[in-house]
Amino acid sequence: MVSIKLDNVSLVYKLHDKLTLSAPDRRVGGPGGRIEGSGRKQFVQALDGVSFELRAGDRLGLVGPNGAGKTTLLKVLYGIYEPSGGSVAIEGKVDALFNINIGFRREATGRRNIVLRGLISGWTETEIEEKMEDIIAFSELGDFIDLPFKAYSQGMAARLAFSAATALDPEILLMDEWIGAGDASFQEKAKRRMDELAEKAGIIVLASHSEALIQSVCTKKLTLKSGRIESLTTEPVKRAGKVAKL
Amino acid sequence: MIAALNGAFDDISKAMKLHRVWVALAHEDIGDQHRRTTLGPLWLLVNYVAFVGTFVFVFQPAGKGAAGYAAYVAIGLLVWFYLMEVMSMSVALFQREESFIEGTTLPLFVYVMRLALQSIIRAGYAIVGCVVILIFSGSPVGMPWLWSLAGLFLILFATPPLITVFAFLGAFFPDSQFIVGNLLRVGMFFTPVFWMNKGQDPVQKYAYEWNPFTYFLEIVRLPITNGEFPAHAFTVTIMASLVTWAIALLLLGRYRKQVVFLI
Ligand SMILES: Nc1ncnc2c1ncn2[C@@H]1O[C@H](COP(=O)(O)OP(=O)(O)OP(=O)(O)O)[C@@H](O)[C@H]1O
Ligand SMILES: [Mg+2]
Repeated sequence: MVSIKLDNVSLVYKLHDKLTLSAPDRRVGGPGGRIEGSGRKQFVQALDGVSFELRAGDRLGLVGPNGAGKTTLLKVLYGIYEPSGGSVAIEGKVDALFNINIGFRREATGRRNIVLRGLISGWTETEIEEKMEDIIAFSELGDFIDLPFKAYSQGMAARLAFSAATALDPEILLMDEWIGAGDASFQEKAKRRMDELAEKAGIIVLASHSEALIQSVCTKKLTLKSGRIESLTTEPVKRAGKVAKL
Repeated sequence: MIAALNGAFDDISKAMKLHRVWVALAHEDIGDQHRRTTLGPLWLLVNYVAFVGTFVFVFQPAGKGAAGYAAYVAIGLLVWFYLMEVMSMSVALFQREESFIEGTTLPLFVYVMRLALQSIIRAGYAIVGCVVILIFSGSPVGMPWLWSLAGLFLILFATPPLITVFAFLGAFFPDSQFIVGNLLRVGMFFTPVFWMNKGQDPVQKYAYEWNPFTYFLEIVRLPITNGEFPAHAFTVTIMASLVTWAIALLLLGRYRKQVVFLI
């Protein structure tokens, strides 16, 4: 059964853990998490006591001001960061879309990049071959697929990244602010695919500053503030098919 | 300690299952480094031959020592350049892979193997040049060459842990990138790459006997230049490799989850 369970998760970024010969720099406050300590032992409390549970079919929207901890939370869910405290239990195959450029090589063609991305996500060669045409078709890149990645626009890169990440039906899909670059028609297409995915009893976690996007995609909304959960609400469900205007 | 070792073996076995990833990435790296050049990776061969040629031209002793010198330098430079490249590329390994480390959950050993394979491919071009030089300089081809080959395999065996240790060093202690770079540049003069130890000069003698890299060079070189099995050099190299593996496993096991916070 696909599920996510976080119990009292906290995450601390230590700023001067490295041994260095230079004097530690002084950082000043601003938006974001809480900066604590001083000199060599500064740290940022990016997540603090975060607990929630998601089940199959849930679509969670993560909102909050800059530096609230959204990206950090997604990276904890993906397993890039080990939490400093608390526990994370995840059932299901996870795929993630953070920065659209991650894992793409500028010099390689789109096609080659799909292969590389697939290998990195642990797909077999047959799986990659089977999905190749689907991915190309969904991205609508046409002949551009055989040009080097550096010749792509931001939106084209986003199309390729999204098509590849969702091609193999991940059970859990984590997304961070990716959709902005795609044009309106692709955003609708992407939204339909996310609906399909959630209907196949998957889980989607999406961090975004776009209230409209969150409302049209998500069924739950988690508001973070300085690393703490401010509220966790269940949104009125908008059924697939009735595509909301973005 | 046991937990650390388990963690390390877990990381390594996951990386081995993902071997297609590092094989593909290493090939991409080689391709990218030489994209849009006419000779492509053949430049590696040209560079190597030019270096050996220069050293032979400048340092070749007169008289009867002359015959073996080309072989001596050819093998010395082959192994030294390989080790030097591995070490100097490793100290910044995790920093270079930052976007992958912060964006994917690939085991760290994938990056280690990616660099190892890339260095091995690059050294492969030099090996071709080296063999040609050996044959032209009249080194007798025979059984001892197999010992040399065994020596090369031993160096391959030591490569992944060497990369791991230097990569962690660079991650925890960023200044080491510059320190290691400088030491390696000086190190060539304290390693019998192009000078021969006659046992007369005390500095030379110390540099020969107390430098672990001497033995990495000699396991490949002595079988060909002297036609003998260098038992002592093999013993030292095997011990050094095992110690490096032990340190690498502990570092990997204990600190692999910390790396993402350090880069
Ligand atoms: N690598 C890092 N080292 C130190 N502090 C970090 C690091 N990454 C993030 N932080 C801090 O952690 C806090 C949470 O950052 P995070 O990136 O999770 O915010 P976010 O909610 O995604 O913000 P945004 O809306 O701007 O994307 C911030 O205070 C940030 O300064
Ligand atoms: Mg963010």
